Amino acid sequence: MSGRYRKNRGTGKKIGILIVVLISLFCIIFFSARGRFRAPILNQAVSVVVTPFQSAISWVGSQLNYVTSNIWEIATVHQQNKMLRNEVEQLRIQNLHASEYDAENQRLRALLGYKQSATQFNLVAARVIGRESATWSSVIEINRGTRDGVDVDMAVVTEKGLVGHVIEAGPTSSKVELILDPRSSVGTLVQRADSRVAGIVEGDMDNPTMPRMVNIPKTADVDEGDVIVTSGFGGVYPKGLMVGTVSEMRNDEGGLLKIAILEPAVDFQRLEDVMVITASREAPPAPLKTPPQTPGTETDPAAQAAAAAAAAEESDAGSPSAPEASSADSSTAAGEGSAQ
Amino acid sequence: MKKFGMTVLFVIVLYALQTSLLPRVAYHGVTADFMLLFVTSTAFLKGSRFGALAGFSVGLLQDLASGTFLGMNAFTRLLLGYLIGKFSDQVFKEQFFLPVCASIPVTIANYFILALLMILLGYRFNLMVHLQYTLLPMLAYQLAFAYPVHRLAYELDKRYRTKA
Repeated sequence: MSGRYRKNRGTGKKIGILIVVLISLFCIIFFSARGRFRAPILNQAVSVVVTPFQSAISWVGSQLNYVTSNIWEIATVHQQNKMLRNEVEQLRIQNLHASEYDAENQRLRALLGYKQSATQFNLVAARVIGRESATWSSVIEINRGTRDGVDVDMAVVTEKGLVGHVIEAGPTSSKVELILDPRSSVGTLVQRADSRVAGIVEGDMDNPTMPRMVNIPKTADVDEGDVIVTSGFGGVYPKGLMVGTVSEMRNDEGGLLKIAILEPAVDFQRLEDVMVITASREAPPAPLKTPPQTPGTETDPAAQAAAAAAAAEESDAGSPSAPEASSADSSTAAGEGSAQ
Repeated sequence: MKKFGMTVLFVIVLYALQTSLLPRVAYHGVTADFMLLFVTSTAFLKGSRFGALAGFSVGLLQDLASGTFLGMNAFTRLLLGYLIGKFSDQVFKEQFFLPVCASIPVTIANYFILALLMILLGYRFNLMVHLQYTLLPMLAYQLAFAYPVHRLAYELDKRYRTKA
Protein backbone atom coordinates (compact mmCIF):
# COMPACT_ATOMS: atom_id res chain seq x y z
CA MET A 1 0.00 0.00 0.00
CA SER A 2 2.76 2.44 1.02
CA GLY A 3 4.81 1.36 -2.08
CA ARG A 4 1.99 2.28 -4.43
CA TYR A 5 1.51 5.59 -2.59
CA ARG A 6 5.26 6.35 -2.96
CA LYS A 7 5.17 5.42 -6.68
CA ASN A 8 2.16 7.70 -7.29
CA ARG A 9 3.90 10.50 -5.41
CA GLY A 10 7.02 10.03 -7.58
CA THR A 11 5.01 10.13 -10.80
CA GLY A 12 3.11 13.19 -9.63
CA LYS A 13 6.38 14.95 -8.82
CA LYS A 14 7.77 14.10 -12.28
CA ILE A 15 4.66 15.45 -14.00
CA GLY A 16 4.85 18.56 -11.83
CA ILE A 17 8.47 19.19 -12.89
CA LEU A 18 7.52 18.57 -16.53
CA ILE A 19 4.69 21.11 -16.38
CA VAL A 20 6.94 23.74 -14.74
CA VAL A 21 9.63 23.23 -17.41
CA LEU A 22 7.05 23.39 -20.21
CA ILE A 23 5.54 26.62 -18.86
CA SER A 24 9.04 28.13 -18.48
CA LEU A 25 9.89 27.19 -22.07
CA PHE A 26 6.58 28.62 -23.24
CA CYS A 27 7.47 31.95 -21.58
CA ILE A 28 11.02 31.86 -23.06
CA ILE A 29 9.60 31.33 -26.57
CA PHE A 30 7.36 34.38 -26.26
CA PHE A 31 9.96 36.61 -24.64
CA SER A 32 12.65 35.63 -27.17
CA ALA A 33 10.23 36.13 -30.11
CA ARG A 34 9.60 39.68 -28.87
CA GLY A 35 13.38 40.19 -28.55
CA ARG A 36 13.29 40.51 -24.75
CA PHE A 37 15.26 37.36 -24.03
CA ARG A 38 18.54 36.40 -25.66
CA ALA A 39 21.34 34.00 -24.83
CA PRO A 40 24.26 35.27 -26.93
CA ILE A 41 26.98 33.50 -24.89
CA LEU A 42 25.20 30.15 -25.13
CA ASN A 43 24.57 30.73 -28.84
CA GLN A 44 28.25 31.40 -29.44
CA ALA A 45 29.34 28.46 -27.28
CA VAL A 46 27.12 26.09 -29.26
CA SER A 47 28.35 27.60 -32.53
CA VAL A 48 31.97 27.11 -31.49
CA VAL A 49 31.28 23.42 -30.77
CA VAL A 50 29.11 22.69 -33.80
CA THR A 51 30.88 24.77 -36.48
CA PRO A 52 33.97 22.51 -36.89
CA PHE A 53 31.70 19.49 -37.47
CA GLN A 54 29.56 21.44 -39.91
CA SER A 55 32.65 22.66 -41.77
CA ALA A 56 34.08 19.15 -41.97
CA ILE A 57 30.82 17.58 -43.17
CA SER A 58 30.22 20.43 -45.60
CA TRP A 59 33.71 19.84 -47.00
CA VAL A 60 33.00 16.10 -47.33
CA GLY A 61 29.72 16.95 -49.05
CA SER A 62 31.37 19.27 -51.54
CA GLN A 63 34.06 16.66 -52.26
CA LEU A 64 31.37 14.03 -52.83
CA ASN A 65 29.57 16.44 -55.10
CA TYR A 66 32.80 17.08 -56.98
CA VAL A 67 33.51 13.36 -57.40
CA THR A 68 29.99 12.50 -58.56
CA SER A 69 29.91 15.40 -60.99
CA ASN A 70 33.30 14.28 -62.38
CA ILE A 71 32.05 10.73 -62.84
CA TRP A 72 28.97 12.07 -64.61
CA GLU A 73 31.11 14.26 -66.83
CA ILE A 74 33.30 11.33 -67.83
CA ALA A 75 30.19 9.29 -68.65
CA THR A 76 28.87 12.00 -70.92
CA VAL A 77 32.17 13.20 -72.37
CA HIS A 78 31.52 12.19 -76.01
CA GLN A 79 28.22 14.00 -76.22
CA GLN A 80 29.71 16.93 -74.37
CA ASN A 81 32.62 17.05 -76.85
CA LYS A 82 30.24 17.43 -79.78
CA MET A 83 28.28 20.11 -78.00
CA LEU A 84 31.46 21.94 -77.06
CA ARG A 85 32.70 21.95 -80.66
CA ASN A 86 29.43 23.58 -81.72
CA GLU A 87 29.69 25.99 -78.85
CA VAL A 88 33.27 26.92 -79.79
CA GLU A 89 32.11 27.81 -83.31
CA GLN A 90 29.31 29.94 -81.96
CA LEU A 91 31.58 31.56 -79.39
CA ARG A 92 34.12 32.48 -82.08
CA ILE A 93 31.42 34.34 -83.95
CA GLN A 94 30.20 35.92 -80.73
CA ASN A 95 33.76 36.85 -79.80
CA LEU A 96 34.16 38.71 -83.07
CA HIS A 97 30.96 40.64 -82.39
CA ALA A 98 32.03 41.24 -78.80
CA SER A 99 35.36 42.70 -79.93
CA GLU A 100 33.50 45.11 -82.15
CA TYR A 101 31.11 46.04 -79.36
CA ASP A 102 34.04 46.43 -77.01
CA ALA A 103 35.78 48.83 -79.34
CA GLU A 104 32.55 50.75 -79.84
CA ASN A 105 31.94 50.81 -76.12
CA GLN A 106 35.40 52.21 -75.45
CA ARG A 107 34.91 54.91 -78.05
CA LEU A 108 31.53 55.88 -76.65
CA ARG A 109 32.87 55.92 -73.11
CA ALA A 110 35.73 58.19 -74.14
CA LEU A 111 33.34 60.45 -76.02
CA LEU A 112 30.88 60.80 -73.18
CA GLY A 113 33.63 61.22 -70.62
CA TYR A 114 32.27 58.53 -68.34
CA LYS A 115 34.51 56.90 -65.88
CA GLN A 116 33.86 53.48 -64.43
CA SER A 117 32.50 54.19 -60.97
CA ALA A 118 34.53 52.93 -58.06
CA THR A 119 33.27 49.84 -56.26
CA GLN A 120 30.58 50.89 -53.84
CA PHE A 121 30.99 48.17 -51.23
CA ASN A 122 33.65 46.48 -49.14
CA LEU A 123 32.89 42.79 -49.44
CA VAL A 124 33.99 39.69 -47.52
CA ALA A 125 33.50 36.39 -49.35
CA ALA A 126 32.03 33.55 -47.30
CA ARG A 127 31.01 29.94 -47.78
CA VAL A 128 27.68 28.52 -46.59
CA ILE A 129 28.47 25.74 -44.12
CA GLY A 130 25.04 25.02 -42.68
CA ARG A 131 21.40 25.55 -43.32
CA GLU A 132 18.42 24.91 -41.09
CA SER A 133 15.50 23.16 -42.74
CA ALA A 134 13.18 25.81 -44.16
CA THR A 135 10.16 24.73 -42.12
CA TRP A 136 9.52 27.81 -40.01
CA SER A 137 12.59 29.97 -40.37
CA SER A 138 15.29 30.40 -43.01
CA VAL A 139 18.71 30.82 -41.50
CA ILE A 140 22.07 29.83 -42.96
CA GLU A 141 25.45 29.61 -41.30
CA ILE A 142 28.54 31.05 -43.01
CA ASN A 143 32.23 30.48 -42.27
CA ARG A 144 33.11 34.11 -41.55
CA GLY A 145 32.78 35.88 -38.21
CA THR A 146 33.93 38.86 -36.21
CA ARG A 147 37.59 37.96 -36.87
CA ASP A 148 36.94 38.62 -40.56
CA GLY A 149 35.16 41.90 -39.89
CA VAL A 150 31.65 40.48 -40.07
CA ASP A 151 29.17 41.91 -37.58
CA VAL A 152 25.46 41.84 -36.77
CA ASP A 153 23.09 43.63 -39.19
CA MET A 154 25.48 43.51 -42.14
CA ALA A 155 23.82 42.78 -45.47
CA VAL A 156 24.70 39.55 -47.28
CA VAL A 157 24.56 39.36 -51.07
CA THR A 158 25.58 37.32 -54.08
CA GLU A 159 26.40 38.69 -57.49
CA LYS A 160 22.73 38.20 -58.36
CA GLY A 161 21.18 40.10 -55.47
CA LEU A 162 20.25 40.29 -51.81
CA VAL A 163 20.47 37.17 -49.60
CA GLY A 164 19.70 38.51 -46.11
CA HIS A 165 21.46 39.98 -43.11
CA VAL A 166 23.68 38.76 -40.29
CA ILE A 167 21.73 38.12 -37.07
CA GLU A 168 24.51 36.60 -35.01
CA ALA A 169 28.25 36.90 -35.44
CA GLY A 170 30.59 34.51 -33.68
CA PRO A 171 34.40 34.65 -33.94
CA THR A 172 34.64 32.28 -36.91
CA SER A 173 31.08 31.85 -38.11
CA SER A 174 27.88 33.84 -38.41
CA LYS A 175 24.19 33.23 -38.83
CA VAL A 176 22.39 34.90 -41.71
CA GLU A 177 18.64 35.39 -41.72
CA LEU A 178 17.49 35.01 -45.34
CA ILE A 179 14.93 37.35 -46.88
CA LEU A 180 12.71 34.24 -47.06
CA ASP A 181 12.46 34.12 -43.25
CA PRO A 182 9.05 35.28 -41.97
CA ARG A 183 10.83 37.47 -39.39
CA SER A 184 12.76 39.30 -42.11
CA SER A 185 11.51 42.61 -43.46
CA VAL A 186 13.35 44.58 -46.12
CA GLY A 187 12.52 48.13 -47.18
CA THR A 188 12.19 48.06 -50.97
CA LEU A 189 10.93 49.98 -53.93
CA VAL A 190 10.08 49.33 -57.55
CA GLN A 191 13.09 50.10 -59.75
CA ARG A 192 11.03 51.40 -62.69
CA ALA A 193 11.56 55.18 -62.95
CA ASP A 194 7.89 56.05 -63.41
CA SER A 195 6.74 53.88 -60.50
CA ARG A 196 9.19 53.97 -57.52
CA VAL A 197 6.49 52.50 -55.25
CA ALA A 198 7.86 51.61 -51.81
CA GLY A 199 6.93 48.47 -49.86
CA ILE A 200 8.24 45.90 -47.44
CA VAL A 201 9.49 42.50 -48.58
CA GLU A 202 9.00 39.72 -46.04
CA GLY A 203 9.12 35.93 -46.00
CA ASP A 204 5.93 34.08 -46.85
CA MET A 205 5.16 31.05 -44.71
CA ASP A 206 2.75 29.72 -47.34
CA ASN A 207 5.47 29.60 -49.93
CA PRO A 208 8.92 29.47 -48.31
CA THR A 209 10.73 29.88 -51.65
CA MET A 210 9.07 33.12 -52.77
CA PRO A 211 8.98 36.25 -50.58
CA ARG A 212 6.25 38.83 -50.93
CA MET A 213 6.12 42.62 -51.04
CA VAL A 214 3.41 43.96 -48.76
CA ASN A 215 1.87 47.35 -47.94
CA ILE A 216 1.37 48.31 -51.60
CA PRO A 217 -1.53 50.73 -52.06
CA LYS A 218 -4.30 49.40 -54.27
CA THR A 219 -3.82 52.18 -56.82
CA ALA A 220 -0.02 51.86 -56.91
CA ASP A 221 1.71 51.35 -60.22
CA VAL A 222 3.25 47.89 -59.77
CA ASP A 223 3.11 45.31 -62.55
CA GLU A 224 4.25 41.76 -63.08
CA GLY A 225 7.86 41.74 -64.23
CA ASP A 226 8.81 44.87 -62.26
CA VAL A 227 12.24 44.71 -60.67
CA ILE A 228 12.32 45.26 -56.88
CA VAL A 229 15.41 46.75 -55.24
CA THR A 230 16.28 47.75 -51.69
CA SER A 231 15.26 51.27 -50.75
CA GLY A 232 18.03 51.88 -48.21
CA PHE A 233 15.46 52.84 -45.53
CA GLY A 234 16.21 51.34 -42.14
CA GLY A 235 19.96 51.37 -42.51
CA VAL A 236 20.59 47.60 -42.66
CA TYR A 237 20.47 47.12 -46.42
CA PRO A 238 22.24 49.59 -48.73
CA LYS A 239 20.11 51.14 -51.46
CA GLY A 240 19.83 49.58 -54.88
CA LEU A 241 20.44 45.87 -54.16
CA MET A 242 18.38 43.60 -56.40
CA VAL A 243 15.74 41.66 -54.40
CA GLY A 244 13.68 40.02 -57.14
CA THR A 245 11.04 40.49 -59.81
CA VAL A 246 7.27 40.60 -59.37
CA SER A 247 5.79 37.35 -60.59
CA GLU A 248 2.20 37.81 -59.41
CA MET A 249 -0.03 40.52 -57.93
CA ARG A 250 -2.68 39.65 -55.35
CA ASN A 251 -5.16 41.56 -53.23
CA ASP A 252 -4.52 41.76 -49.51
CA GLU A 253 -6.94 39.94 -47.19
CA GLY A 254 -8.38 43.28 -46.09
CA GLY A 255 -8.91 44.35 -49.71
CA LEU A 256 -7.34 47.80 -49.21
CA LEU A 257 -3.79 46.89 -50.17
CA LYS A 258 -2.02 44.71 -52.70
CA ILE A 259 0.64 42.03 -52.27
CA ALA A 260 3.31 41.30 -54.87
CA ILE A 261 4.70 37.76 -54.94
CA LEU A 262 8.39 37.96 -55.86
CA GLU A 263 10.66 35.64 -57.75
CA PRO A 264 13.86 36.17 -55.74
CA ALA A 265 16.95 37.24 -57.69
CA VAL A 266 19.05 34.74 -55.75
CA ASP A 267 18.55 30.99 -56.12
CA PHE A 268 18.33 30.05 -52.43
CA GLN A 269 18.27 26.32 -53.20
CA ARG A 270 21.79 26.52 -54.62
CA LEU A 271 23.33 28.99 -52.22
CA GLU A 272 26.97 28.03 -51.70
CA ASP A 273 29.03 31.21 -51.77
CA VAL A 274 27.93 34.62 -50.54
CA MET A 275 29.47 38.02 -49.82
CA VAL A 276 29.02 40.09 -46.69
CA ILE A 277 28.92 43.87 -47.16
CA THR A 278 31.17 45.09 -44.35
CA ALA A 279 31.06 48.74 -45.44
CA SER A 280 29.13 50.64 -48.06
CA ARG A 281 29.41 54.11 -49.46
CA GLU A 282 27.03 56.18 -51.48
CA ALA A 283 27.67 56.03 -55.23
CA PRO A 284 29.73 59.03 -56.40
CA PRO A 285 27.42 61.82 -57.58
CA ALA A 286 27.24 62.70 -61.26
CA PRO A 287 29.47 65.64 -62.23
CA LEU A 288 27.68 68.98 -62.13
CA LYS A 289 26.96 70.70 -65.44
CA THR A 290 26.48 74.43 -65.95
CA PRO A 291 22.89 75.09 -67.03
CA PRO A 292 22.48 76.85 -70.41
CA GLN A 293 22.15 80.60 -69.90
CA THR A 294 19.57 82.72 -71.65
CA PRO A 295 21.23 85.12 -74.14
CA GLY A 296 21.38 88.63 -72.73
CA THR A 297 21.23 87.47 -69.07
CA GLU A 298 24.73 85.97 -68.79
CA THR A 299 26.46 86.44 -65.46
CA ASP A 300 29.69 87.51 -67.22
CA PRO A 301 28.88 88.60 -70.80
CA ALA A 302 32.51 89.55 -71.61
CA ALA A 303 33.85 86.12 -70.65
CA GLN A 304 31.04 84.38 -72.55
CA ALA A 305 31.77 86.40 -75.68
CA ALA A 306 35.51 85.62 -75.42
CA ALA A 307 34.81 81.89 -75.05
CA ALA A 308 32.45 81.93 -78.04
CA ALA A 309 35.06 83.75 -80.15
CA ALA A 310 37.78 81.27 -79.17
CA ALA A 311 35.52 78.33 -80.08
CA ALA A 312 34.73 79.88 -83.45
CA GLU A 313 38.44 80.43 -84.18
CA GLU A 314 39.25 76.82 -83.31
CA SER A 315 36.53 75.46 -85.56
CA ASP A 316 37.75 77.69 -88.42
CA ALA A 317 41.29 76.46 -88.01
CA GLY A 318 39.98 72.86 -88.11
CA SER A 319 42.69 71.67 -85.71
CA PRO A 320 42.21 67.88 -84.94
CA SER A 321 44.05 68.08 -81.61
CA ALA A 322 41.61 70.54 -80.03
CA PRO A 323 38.66 68.15 -79.38
CA GLU A 324 41.03 65.49 -78.10
CA ALA A 325 42.53 67.94 -75.66
CA SER A 326 39.12 69.06 -74.42
CA SER A 327 37.99 65.44 -74.10
CA ALA A 328 41.10 64.60 -72.09
CA ASP A 329 40.51 67.62 -69.86
CA SER A 330 36.92 66.64 -69.21
CA SER A 331 37.80 63.03 -68.39
CA THR A 332 40.49 64.23 -65.99
CA ALA A 333 37.96 66.52 -64.34
CA ALA A 334 35.48 63.64 -64.07
CA GLY A 335 38.18 61.45 -62.52
CA GLU A 336 38.92 63.99 -59.85
CA GLY A 337 35.23 64.39 -59.14
CA SER A 338 34.73 60.70 -58.51
CA ALA A 339 37.89 60.50 -56.44
CA GLN A 340 36.58 63.26 -54.23
CA MET B 1 30.80 9.43 -18.53
CA LYS B 2 32.15 7.88 -21.74
CA LYS B 3 28.62 6.96 -22.74
CA PHE B 4 27.47 10.53 -22.18
CA GLY B 5 30.38 11.86 -24.26
CA MET B 6 29.66 9.43 -27.10
CA THR B 7 25.96 10.38 -27.06
CA VAL B 8 26.80 14.10 -27.21
CA LEU B 9 29.24 13.47 -30.09
CA PHE B 10 26.60 11.38 -31.88
CA VAL B 11 24.02 14.19 -31.52
CA ILE B 12 26.44 16.87 -32.76
CA VAL B 13 27.44 14.76 -35.79
CA LEU B 14 23.75 14.11 -36.55
CA TYR B 15 23.03 17.84 -36.33
CA ALA B 16 26.00 18.70 -38.54
CA LEU B 17 24.83 16.09 -41.09
CA GLN B 18 21.31 17.51 -40.97
CA THR B 19 22.43 21.08 -41.57
CA SER B 20 25.45 20.59 -43.85
CA LEU B 21 24.85 17.52 -45.98
CA LEU B 22 21.07 17.13 -46.18
CA PRO B 23 20.43 20.59 -47.73
CA ARG B 24 22.10 19.17 -50.85
CA VAL B 25 19.17 16.78 -51.27
CA ALA B 26 16.50 19.14 -49.91
CA TYR B 27 13.12 19.54 -51.57
CA HIS B 28 12.01 23.20 -51.49
CA GLY B 29 14.40 23.68 -48.58
CA VAL B 30 12.80 20.90 -46.53
CA THR B 31 14.92 18.00 -45.27
CA ALA B 32 14.74 15.29 -42.64
CA ASP B 33 14.79 16.23 -38.97
CA PHE B 34 17.44 13.90 -37.52
CA MET B 35 17.08 15.48 -34.09
CA LEU B 36 13.42 14.51 -33.89
CA LEU B 37 14.24 10.98 -35.04
CA PHE B 38 16.94 10.73 -32.37
CA VAL B 39 14.50 11.87 -29.65
CA THR B 40 11.94 9.31 -30.84
CA SER B 41 14.51 6.50 -30.75
CA THR B 42 15.89 7.52 -27.34
CA ALA B 43 12.42 7.76 -25.85
CA PHE B 44 11.52 4.32 -27.22
CA LEU B 45 14.72 2.75 -25.89
CA LYS B 46 15.07 4.51 -22.54
CA GLY B 47 11.58 5.55 -21.44
CA SER B 48 9.86 8.79 -20.59
CA ARG B 49 12.47 10.29 -18.21
CA PHE B 50 15.38 9.97 -20.64
CA GLY B 51 13.09 10.75 -23.58
CA ALA B 52 12.09 14.06 -22.03
CA LEU B 53 15.70 14.87 -21.06
CA ALA B 54 17.01 14.01 -24.53
CA GLY B 55 14.17 16.00 -26.14
CA PHE B 56 14.91 19.07 -24.05
CA SER B 57 18.71 18.93 -24.60
CA VAL B 58 18.56 18.21 -28.30
CA GLY B 59 15.83 20.82 -28.86
CA LEU B 60 17.82 23.45 -26.97
CA LEU B 61 20.95 22.62 -28.98
CA GLN B 62 18.96 23.03 -32.17
CA ASP B 63 17.45 26.34 -31.00
CA LEU B 64 20.83 27.76 -30.01
CA ALA B 65 22.71 26.49 -33.06
CA SER B 66 20.15 27.36 -35.71
CA GLY B 67 19.12 30.86 -34.58
CA THR B 68 15.43 30.02 -34.75
CA PHE B 69 12.87 31.05 -32.09
CA LEU B 70 14.59 30.22 -28.81
CA GLY B 71 12.91 27.45 -26.81
CA MET B 72 10.57 26.32 -29.56
CA ASN B 73 12.28 23.04 -30.42
CA ALA B 74 13.15 22.42 -26.77
CA PHE B 75 9.45 22.73 -25.92
CA THR B 76 8.12 20.38 -28.60
CA ARG B 77 10.84 17.76 -28.27
CA LEU B 78 10.58 17.68 -24.47
CA LEU B 79 6.84 17.10 -24.71
CA LEU B 80 7.11 14.50 -27.46
CA GLY B 81 10.05 12.72 -25.80
CA TYR B 82 8.03 12.35 -22.61
CA LEU B 83 4.87 11.13 -24.37
CA ILE B 84 6.72 8.64 -26.60
CA GLY B 85 8.60 7.37 -23.55
CA LYS B 86 5.32 6.84 -21.70
CA PHE B 87 3.97 4.89 -24.67
CA SER B 88 7.16 2.85 -25.08
CA ASP B 89 6.80 1.39 -21.56
CA GLN B 90 4.03 -0.80 -23.01
CA VAL B 91 6.04 -2.19 -25.97
CA PHE B 92 8.99 -4.48 -26.62
CA LYS B 93 12.23 -2.50 -27.01
CA GLU B 94 14.10 -4.79 -29.39
CA GLN B 95 11.74 -4.44 -32.32
CA PHE B 96 12.34 -1.83 -35.03
CA PHE B 97 9.02 -1.58 -36.80
CA LEU B 98 7.23 0.57 -34.25
CA PRO B 99 9.94 3.25 -33.70
CA VAL B 100 10.36 3.63 -37.47
CA CYS B 101 6.61 3.92 -38.07
CA ALA B 102 6.25 6.21 -35.05
CA SER B 103 8.40 8.79 -36.85
CA ILE B 104 5.33 9.67 -38.95
CA PRO B 105 2.84 10.55 -36.18
CA VAL B 106 5.67 12.15 -34.16
CA THR B 107 6.60 14.40 -37.10
CA ILE B 108 2.95 15.33 -37.62
CA ALA B 109 2.50 16.08 -33.91
CA ASN B 110 5.72 18.12 -33.87
CA TYR B 111 4.53 20.05 -36.95
CA PHE B 112 1.16 20.93 -35.46
CA ILE B 113 2.58 21.96 -32.08
CA LEU B 114 5.03 24.26 -33.89
CA ALA B 115 2.23 25.58 -36.12
CA LEU B 116 0.15 26.35 -33.03
CA LEU B 117 3.08 28.19 -31.42
CA MET B 118 3.62 30.21 -34.59
CA ILE B 119 -0.05 31.20 -34.65
CA LEU B 120 0.15 32.17 -30.97
CA LEU B 121 3.20 34.30 -31.83
CA GLY B 122 1.07 36.17 -34.35
CA TYR B 123 2.24 34.66 -37.65
CA ARG B 124 -0.49 33.82 -40.15
CA PHE B 125 -0.22 31.25 -42.94
CA ASN B 126 -2.36 29.05 -45.12
CA LEU B 127 -2.25 25.69 -43.39
CA MET B 128 -3.24 23.62 -46.42
CA VAL B 129 -0.56 25.15 -48.66
CA HIS B 130 2.03 24.87 -45.92
CA LEU B 131 1.12 21.23 -45.31
CA GLN B 132 1.63 20.46 -48.98
CA TYR B 133 4.97 22.27 -49.31
CA THR B 134 6.47 21.41 -45.94
CA LEU B 135 4.89 18.54 -44.06
CA LEU B 136 4.46 16.04 -46.90
CA PRO B 137 8.10 16.18 -48.14
CA MET B 138 9.31 16.11 -44.56
CA LEU B 139 7.28 12.96 -43.82
CA ALA B 140 8.88 11.24 -46.81
CA TYR B 141 12.37 12.19 -45.62
CA GLN B 142 11.59 11.14 -42.04
CA LEU B 143 10.38 7.74 -43.16
CA ALA B 144 13.48 7.26 -45.30
CA PHE B 145 15.93 8.15 -42.52
CA ALA B 146 14.04 6.77 -39.49
CA TYR B 147 15.54 3.28 -39.72
CA PRO B 148 19.24 4.28 -40.02
CA VAL B 149 18.97 6.81 -37.19
CA HIS B 150 17.12 4.36 -34.92
CA ARG B 151 19.59 1.60 -35.77
CA LEU B 152 22.55 3.84 -34.82
CA ALA B 153 20.86 4.96 -31.60
CA TYR B 154 20.02 1.34 -30.77
CA GLU B 155 23.59 0.11 -31.39
CA LEU B 156 25.03 2.93 -29.29
CA ASP B 157 22.63 2.13 -26.46
CA LYS B 158 23.25 -1.63 -26.73
CA ARG B 159 27.03 -1.24 -26.72
CA TYR B 160 27.11 0.72 -23.48
CA ARG B 161 24.31 -1.33 -21.89
CA THR B 162 26.30 -4.56 -22.34
CA LYS B 163 29.49 -2.92 -21.01
CA ALA B 164 27.61 -1.70 -17.94
